[in-house]
This record gives sequence, structure tokens and C-alpha cells, in this order.
Amino acid sequence: MKARYLRLLAVQLRASLLLGMQYRADFVLDALVEVFWMATAIVPLLVVYDVRSTVAGWSRGEALLVMGWFTFLQGVLEGAISPGLATVVEHIRKGTLDFVLVKPADAQFLVSTARLHPWRAVNVLTALAIFAWGFRLLGRAPTLSNVATAVVALFASVSVLYALWMLTVSAAFYVVRIDNLSQLFSAIFDAARWPVDVFRGAVWVMFTFVVPLALMTTYPAEALLGRLAAGTLAGALAGGVAALTLSRAVWLASIRRYTSAGG
Amino acid sequence: MSLRSTTRALPTLLRVGFADAVAYRAEMIVWVLATTMPLVMLGLWTAVARDAPVGRYGEPQFQAYFLATFIVRQLTGSWAFWEMNFELRNGTLSMRLLRPVHPLLAYAAEGVAAMPMRVAVSIPVAVIALALVGPTGVNAKPLLWVVWAFSIVGAWLLTLMVNLLIGCAAFFFESSLKLMDLWLVFYFVLSGYLIPIDIFPTRLRSFVDWLPFRYQIGFPVELMTGSHAMPDALVLLARQAAWIAIFLGATRWAWRRGVARFSAFGG
Amino acid sequence: MIRVRDLRKHYKVHERPPGLGAALRSVFRRRYKTLAAIDGLDFDIAPGERVGFLGPNGAGKTTTLKVLAGLLHPTSGEVSVDGHEPRRREDAFLKKIMLVLGQKQQLLWDLPPSETFELNRAVYDVPRAEYDARLAELTELLQIGDLVRKPTRTLSLGERMKCELTAALIHGPKLLFLDEPTIGLDVSMQVVVRDFVKSYNERSGATLILTSHYMEDVEKLCPRVIVIDKGKLVYDGALDALATRIRPDKRIILRFSRPVDVADLAPLATVLRHDPGETVLRVLKDEVSAVVARALAQFPVDDLTVENAPLEEVMSELFARGRPDPERGPPP
Repeated sequence: MKARYLRLLAVQLRASLLLGMQYRADFVLDALVEVFWMATAIVPLLVVYDVRSTVAGWSRGEALLVMGWFTFLQGVLEGAISPGLATVVEHIRKGTLDFVLVKPADAQFLVSTARLHPWRAVNVLTALAIFAWGFRLLGRAPTLSNVATAVVALFASVSVLYALWMLTVSAAFYVVRIDNLSQLFSAIFDAARWPVDVFRGAVWVMFTFVVPLALMTTYPAEALLGRLAAGTLAGALAGGVAALTLSRAVWLASIRRYTSAGG
Repeated sequence: MSLRSTTRALPTLLRVGFADAVAYRAEMIVWVLATTMPLVMLGLWTAVARDAPVGRYGEPQFQAYFLATFIVRQLTGSWAFWEMNFELRNGTLSMRLLRPVHPLLAYAAEGVAAMPMRVAVSIPVAVIALALVGPTGVNAKPLLWVVWAFSIVGAWLLTLMVNLLIGCAAFFFESSLKLMDLWLVFYFVLSGYLIPIDIFPTRLRSFVDWLPFRYQIGFPVELMTGSHAMPDALVLLARQAAWIAIFLGATRWAWRRGVARFSAFGG
Repeated sequence: MIRVRDLRKHYKVHERPPGLGAALRSVFRRRYKTLAAIDGLDFDIAPGERVGFLGPNGAGKTTTLKVLAGLLHPTSGEVSVDGHEPRRREDAFLKKIMLVLGQKQQLLWDLPPSETFELNRAVYDVPRAEYDARLAELTELLQIGDLVRKPTRTLSLGERMKCELTAALIHGPKLLFLDEPTIGLDVSMQVVVRDFVKSYNERSGATLILTSHYMEDVEKLCPRVIVIDKGKLVYDGALDALATRIRPDKRIILRFSRPVDVADLAPLATVLRHDPGETVLRVLKDEVSAVVARALAQFPVDDLTVENAPLEEVMSELFARGRPDPERGPPP
């Protein structure tokens, strides 16, 4: 059974790569614009740290790490997560979801792997550049164990990100026009550019426990800095698993509703 | 497409636009909620000002500023560009061209029709802002509020023109969306949306003064938070009007050229 | 193979009334009403049969087909397809069926059909040898050899449909669900699709369920029809028997060697059409031989054909009557 899904993944990957080859000019342009968009975060950061040396306990170099993780995750989101899940919205709109449901394979797997944009890997490079900048400002480099912890934290981040996006896309079963919803997601996700400690009170709680942006970018940054407590990391991993379970349940419920209410 | 037929069609256009806005209420709410940038900046800048103010901006001043930014964004935002782009790609733009109402005016009317819903959303935010900030954070002179009203209309017009002008790029280029993205980056960074203009380093400030972005949002916000005295305000209002005139001309020109090309290629 | 008892499917739809006041009110409170898409269907289908679901728009044909394919959950009733309950969507069940929806496609748009074939091979777990053999066979039958490597978006509608059929059959299903497969196709392509589907059914013994608006499809492909109207079964049986029962008149088509005046024809039978090349008379079934004899005797007849009433007329008649009790005609 596992072997079948692995084979399926390989076939889907191949199809995405072929597609990517066809539209590579478009994708490269997309990636460039993405980098340009970073100005909307870098410029405020530079202005802020022009007038202050620390904000909410984070120095400029440290804040850059958070921004680096944001860029990385954005690459993962737009390269591996959102294109595939966007096909769900397309299917619902065109009435072709039936073709997915009639196949003897898990629908969530099929749609999640349906489309990948490998060109978004440029975000990984940009993220690495930002990390380099940040650590240069800090005057040191991360230790190997820091990096290892960061990678573990990253698993939690990507899981939560995937789960959140799955939840957003599942809304397409109810609302159909979710271009706005994905915009809402992006708008809220935007706040993850900054260390979560910048926010206070209810907002801090929201960004740590409800829409766990903290988990996504602040914790991996703290891991790189060697500041992430083991307990927090465990909590993050548990959160990642919980998020994946929840999003799976919501997806299955949405499909059930779709097949009851008719497409 | 005469002005008279447009004026006669206007009430219906507005009524239908309003019904549309109500029908798509879920989308409306999402649009509003997606205006998170001012709120994120609010968080960031109040964190910065926690220990000491930045220039004349302490925590309450930043709160006032960014809540005002949220309101002004609601009142002046336009999505005519995306509509236009969508219709051009689908071919439904041809239908607009067949109607006796000038399409640019139709887009404008649709924007106006969505206003009641947007104002309805802004009012609670305004109330919260006032409660948080108190009367000192807000401009107290009634005459300046009159100027503000003009500046809001101006900002709305300017943003609409920008939308339509870049929308016209879709007649000529495949990637007009990227163009809008480009504009938006400059808009966010240089208009006072993310950073109050008076916090900018001085050399950047004089540069920014000559760009149109500030007149899309920064200027009305500054008036609301009492940053300007009357003489200054009037000068800035005049500059805004100049930018509106420039964009109006550019948009009409681009539209004519674009439609000619569109019709030549069969739509 | 297929067993359906008292199948029902109800929907709750919310009303969107026109007018500004209603629009505002709907912001706060929505009104729903219940629609019965399927309202108590019973039928059995044996393996290898070719059955057509007929009915006006919104009758419930596509809904029934989707229930059989497991895409819709019935509100109540019993549905069994080859021993499976479709709604459970077991892998074993899904591997036995195929779905073709007119005007919608499963082919990947920007890539060649061959990519979709490969994808389906992986999804349905088709052994390589079997896949190659079947692909070769289908490619040959449908004549799509040079098409499968071109991106789907560059193919014409007919070419796409042929590739769509291939993609859907690559795993050798036992049940073929076709929903309006010929819609939008030109006449010659419709013939190609019909002939192919029929021969596939005859060779493989797969069961075919077809819904269509085109009487041609049903006439040429389906010896048995199930007529559904407003979610209820109206007729289940042989197609020609339906025609004879509902519209017991026949058509006599005549061609004369010399011009004939329509007034002279009137006493013979009802004249439906009188053109220089063709005259069409409407005659009750029992009177056919008598009228034929008289026509041959009295008029300079060059050519004469006797036909059933066209199916369209039969159908319109059937739906106009709004029959409450289902009719079961003789099996084909």
C-alpha cells in the first residue's frame, strides 16, 4: 500500500516538473516578484532598528532570523502546499472533483501532491542569505545542535502551515469563492515575519495558540539561537501533530458533506 | 456612451452594486479582515515605542496612527484592477464595452456602491480608536475635518485611477498582475502605510513627498491624527489634486489605446 | 450487478429571492426548501447490459448515476453495485468503475494525455504488461496514436473525448458510467464515440450506464431505457416498446415520381409534411397496411418507408403526461 503511494508521488512529481518546464518564465518572474515583496518587511525592519537596538527583547540580527524563517516557509507554502490545494478550489468550481473522488486513492493525498512549483526553491536561497546576514550582525554562527533543533522545529512549522492551509481550502466546500480566504490567510500569515513577542496580551495568545504563527517562525529562530526550551519544542511538535489530525478530520467531514449535498 | 445616459443609469448601477456587495457579504468580511498590515504594524511600532517614543510617536500616537490607517484603507481601497484583469482574461470585458455607460464610470460606480458596507465596518473601529486614544490623539479642528473629507475622496479617486491605469496594462501585457504587485510594494513602503512618513530619515522624506503614494493613504491619516496645520494641509491637498489630474489623464489615454487594441484583436 | 430499491435523494437549497429588501434580509436569515432529486427508484441491471437513463433536465438521471458511482450519498434506500455499497467508496469498488462526464475532463490540461494515462496506471495499480497491452488496443481502436503526446489543451473537443475515454478505460473497468458523453461533439465524433462504447461493451462484457439528452445516443446504444422524471421512475424496459406504447402511431414516408396535390392526400391520412422530395404521413399502427396499400394503388409512389414515431416526440409525450405509476415494458 505504501509502495503504491510512493509510486503515485513520483508520478505526480514528474508531472509537476514537466509543467514547470513549460511555464518556467512565468515561475521565474513570480519568484523575482516574491523577492521584491520582501522589501515590505525589510524596509520597516531597517527603519525600526535605525531608531532602536532591541525591540521586545530581539536585536536586529535576531529579528532577521525570524524573517528568514518566514521567507523559507513562504517558499514551502507557495512551492509545495498552496498549488496542490488550490486544485481543490479549481475542481469544485469546474465540477471535476468527482474525478478525484472516483479514484481508488486517498483524495487528500491526490490533491496535495497534484502540483508543485519547484522554482520556489529560490526562497530557500533567500532565507539562507538572510540567516547569513543575521548571524553576521550577531557576530557568530549557529552550533550544529542549534541547527538540528531548528530542523525539528521546522517539521512542526511545516505541519502547522500545511494544516492551516488545508483548513482554509476546506472552506471552499462551503464558500466556493475562497480567493479572499486565501488572501486572509496570507494577510494573517504576514504577521509571522516578526518575533511573536512584539505582540502583547490577547494578540500574543492568539498568535501562540490559536493561529500559531509563533510556532512557525519564532520557535525555529529561537532554536537557531539556542534559546528554544525543550518543553516548548515538545509542545510545538505536539501542536503540529494535533493540527494535522484536526485538518484531516475537517477534510474528511468536508468530503462527506460534498458527497451528501452533491457537487 | 454619453454623460447623460451614464447619469440616468447611475441609480441602478449603485443599487445593483449594493445588492452585489450584500450578496457577497462573506467575501466582503474577508476583505476587511484581510487588512491586517496596519494592525501588525500597530503591534510592531507600539513594541518599539514601549520604552521611549520614536520622534513624536509614543504608544498612543502609534495606536491612533495605525487605527486611522485601517479606516482610511477601508474607505479608499479599490479592487477595480483585479476585476478588470479578470474580465479581460475571460472576455467579459466586451460586454462592458457594449453598454451605454462608460466602463471606467461603471467601475467607479461599483466602488461607490460598496461604500456603505465599508463605512459600516469602519465605524466600530473608529469608536474603538477614539476610546483607546482619547481626544488628544485625534485632530480637533473642524475645518481640518472638512479638508480631510476632501482628502479621503481624493485618495479614493487616486487609488481607483491607479487601479484602472494598471488594469489597462492588461491590454498590452500578459503579466499585468506583476505590475500591480510592483506598485503595491512601493505603495506599502512609501505611502505611510507601514511606516509613518515623519519617521522616515530626512533624505528619504523629501523624495517621498514628490511621489503619489502618500496621497493615497498617508495624507488623510496624517490629517486625522492632527499632524498638519491648515496651510500645510491645503498645500498637500493641492498636490493630491495634481496627482489625481495626472492619473486621470493617463488612465483615459491608456484606456483609449487599450480598447482600440482590444477591439482590433477581436477581444 | 446493480440493485436499487426505493432510492431517495433530497437536497436542502437556500432561496435567494430578488430585490434589495430581500437581499438585505438574507444577510441575517436564510430560507431553505427541500428538493427531491430522486423520489423512490427501483431497478435491477444485469452484468453486460447497456442501459440508458432518459429524462428531461433536472429529472434526476445524473444524480442517480452519481449515486451508483458512490459520488453522492442517498438520503435513503438500498443501492448495491457488484456486491458493494457505493457510498462506502471501497478501493476494490472504485477499481471496477469508470466515469466519463460530458464537457468535463480528468485529463491534465497542460500536459499530454499520456501523462494522465501514466497517472491513472499508478492510481489504479495496473501491472505494466496489462497497461501496455490495453493502451495499445485503445490507441488502435480510437486512432489516437499521434495525439497522446500533444498537450491536452491543443486538442480539439473530439480528440480530447477520445483520449478521455482511453484514460478512463486504462484500468479495465467492469462498469462504465457515462454522463452526457456526446454533448458538444460534432455528428461524426458522436458516431465514433457510440460505436466505440458499444464495441467495448460487446468485447469486454462491461456494464454500461449512460445518461443522455440525445435520442440518437440512446437509440443506437441502449436496448433498455430507464426513464426518470421528477425523480421518479416512469418507464423501464425496451426502447421500441416504449415508443409503440406511448405513441402508437407510425410514420409513412413517401416519395412520389410526379407532383401530388396535398388535398388529394388528405383523405388517406394526416399529412405531417409535404415537400417535393418527401411526404410524411401519420398513421395509427393498425391502419398502416391499409394506408400503404391505398397509397401504392392511388399515387405514383417511387419510394415508401414505414417508421416509428420519432423518439423526441415520444419523450415529450411521456413527460407531458406526468405519469404517476411507473410502467415496466418488456425486456429488450
